[in-house]
Amino acid sequence: MLVEVVQTQTRDVLDVSGLVRRYGELTAVDGVSFHIRSGETYGLLGPNGAGKTTIISMVAGLIPAHGGTVRVAGRAMTPSKTEAKRIIGLVPQELAIYPDLTARENLKFFGRLQGLRGRELTRRTNEVLELIGLNDRAGDLTKKYSGGMKRRLNIGIGLLHRPTLLILDEPTVGVDPQSRNAILESVERLSVEGMAVLYTTHYMEEAERLCDRIAIIDEGRVQAEGTRDELITLTGGVDRINLRGGGSMSRAAEALRGLPAVQHVDNDGAGLILTVSDGPTALAGIVTGAGHAGMSVTSVEIVRPDLESVFLHLTGKALRD
Amino acid sequence: MPGLWTMVAKDLRQRIRDKSVFIFSLIVPLALMGVLSLVFGGLGEDTVDLQPATVVASADDADQLGAALLGAVDSLEIMDVTIKRVPAADVRHETQASGADLGIIIPEGFSNAVLSGQAASVQLVEGDNASLESGVLISVVQGVVDQFAAGTVTAAAGGLSGLPRQDLAALARHAAAGPSLLTLTEGQAAAEQLSLRGTLVAGQAGLFLMFTVGFGVLGLLAEREQGTLARLRSMPVTGAAVITAKACTGFILGVVATTVLLTAGSQLFGVSFGSPLVVAALILSVVTAATSLTFVVARLVRTAEQANVAQSILAVVLGIAGGAFFPVQGTGFAATLLDLNPIGAFNRGLGISAGGGNVGDVTGPVAVMLAFAAAGLLLARILPDRGAQA
Ligand SMILES: Nc1ncnc2c1ncn2[C@@H]1O[C@H](COP(=O)(O)OP(=O)(O)OP(=O)(O)O)[C@@H](O)[C@H]1O
Ligand SMILES: [Mg+2]
Repeated sequence: MLVEVVQTQTRDVLDVSGLVRRYGELTAVDGVSFHIRSGETYGLLGPNGAGKTTIISMVAGLIPAHGGTVRVAGRAMTPSKTEAKRIIGLVPQELAIYPDLTARENLKFFGRLQGLRGRELTRRTNEVLELIGLNDRAGDLTKKYSGGMKRRLNIGIGLLHRPTLLILDEPTVGVDPQSRNAILESVERLSVEGMAVLYTTHYMEEAERLCDRIAIIDEGRVQAEGTRDELITLTGGVDRINLRGGGSMSRAAEALRGLPAVQHVDNDGAGLILTVSDGPTALAGIVTGAGHAGMSVTSVEIVRPDLESVFLHLTGKALRD
Repeated sequence: MPGLWTMVAKDLRQRIRDKSVFIFSLIVPLALMGVLSLVFGGLGEDTVDLQPATVVASADDADQLGAALLGAVDSLEIMDVTIKRVPAADVRHETQASGADLGIIIPEGFSNAVLSGQAASVQLVEGDNASLESGVLISVVQGVVDQFAAGTVTAAAGGLSGLPRQDLAALARHAAAGPSLLTLTEGQAAAEQLSLRGTLVAGQAGLFLMFTVGFGVLGLLAEREQGTLARLRSMPVTGAAVITAKACTGFILGVVATTVLLTAGSQLFGVSFGSPLVVAALILSVVTAATSLTFVVARLVRTAEQANVAQSILAVVLGIAGGAFFPVQGTGFAATLLDLNPIGAFNRGLGISAGGGNVGDVTGPVAVMLAFAAAGLLLARILPDRGAQA
């Protein structure tokens, strides 16, 4: 009893420890641990088949784990634990709505199962319909919806009861850019309101934009974890600057090598390629230095390392094939 | 169970919105009842007017029980019977020559033999053209003789060897008091056997029940395919509540559809199934059995598509074996198998009910259906869930 009380006081909304799940010979999830604090958006970034959905299925109590534990706000989560399920909201990767019910009926049904009743249920249903922009179509059967509208409803159902932890499994797959942006914006808004979010994706742009911390998942394991910047330092943290133009490029190369920020300068004939520790800060000095040395610069490009490069660096594979 | 009724209400709403439940559970079976009753035509008449009949009989008028037996035959209310007395030796010949429906040879000293508990057999000679009338007459004679025998046995059980004289008169009077006897014989004739039209209505109702309850538990497979099962599992409801909700949905649909079918069927085709209370007990039992079977199906199949096929096969097999289209009889092991079929038991129960049986009289069929339900649930627990591995 005492242990329970202590644990509900921790700041972690989600605590995943040593999670394992096997499918026959395959170990789909192999000792995954991470934790999410309240108000934090945490990303699981990994390619197809990395094990993201399997992790989420155990976190949401859909399937039992073969090892390890999941605690949601201090409460143990397993498939039979309805207490822990009260405070999570799941948005499954596959659509999970009834095609022969209207959006409002879908929301009310799941809201009732989540324990909402009466006026509270009606109020939350209307709020969510507003949020996902389906107010006008709330009375239509969802089988008549476009793909994007179905996706939005799929997300809305997960938000209905204001979960402490919202779990989104690749919510933007198969969505047009406009709807995608709307979805990302609403996740940002929820995070601002203090909801903890577990977000899986194989789009690094989404992970970079939304997530406070990111775990890079591959072959069922956490390959690296941290903020975007922390992850990027794993690659050595160097930026690349491409200078294009003409004039005396070898003299310019010589001069730039003397600058403290510059690590390496390469002259490929059409221009100079530099590796620098902090591209944006060093850029002005580099462009003026090249000009003084007699190079006429026509274009400048900074290539910063991204999560894609991190993934490549860690696994030797591209995030997307 | 939290969430149970929320889920049942949602399922019922979906089923009502999706018209197929009306089509498969009500319209198709009613249409089939109509078509089949046309095919079987006049055979399906429920009441038959019995023709006047002639009986050739030998009896010693001084023999009280013999006279009582003939008196019972003579005083039948359901048909006119003319009795022609001839000496015992001539009964056989006369019956055939005159084209009578039945010949009755009552042995000499019949009363004394019965009273002293000795074997005494009444011989019957069936007419050349065995008619419905002769059948009825045979069962009447059988009924009277049975009652004599019962009296003898009672007396023997009382420690007496034979009956005292004064009881003989009472027995004879009792036997001759026709009406009570007749209800007895009629009741026996109707027991376990519905009229053709009754069989048709009950059989179709039983057959389509298998489809109707399928809309419940098999909806679970639809949830799996729609992805909503995963979402339900993330909600604070137990897996048991999810399954129970499906079973409740199937059960409610089954009870409603069967009740409507039997009511509409009995109105449209002029059949009566007897006491509503007994019929209700039978409906609840057969729907329980059918619902339990859907759990087994849900375990064995992977997709809703496969489930529909399996459910149709089961419905047709159990329906036909249960006599949905025509009476089916078997011997030995086959007969036992047929007896265990819940739809067959349902039809038998309705036959008993139609024949005036009360709740106590249908415990046999009810027990068969409930045992079937229990076996189904047990089997569903033991079987691995193939669909979950998909
Ligand atoms: N029910 C299952 N039975 C067998 N293997 C499974 C099952 N579910 C997942 N797997 C396997 O586990 C591994 C991880 O799958 P998972 O769905 O978790 O990946 P994911 O990271 O979510 O991929 P995606 O980005 O494509 O959704 C895969 O190799 C997959 O084939
Ligand atoms: Mg996935």
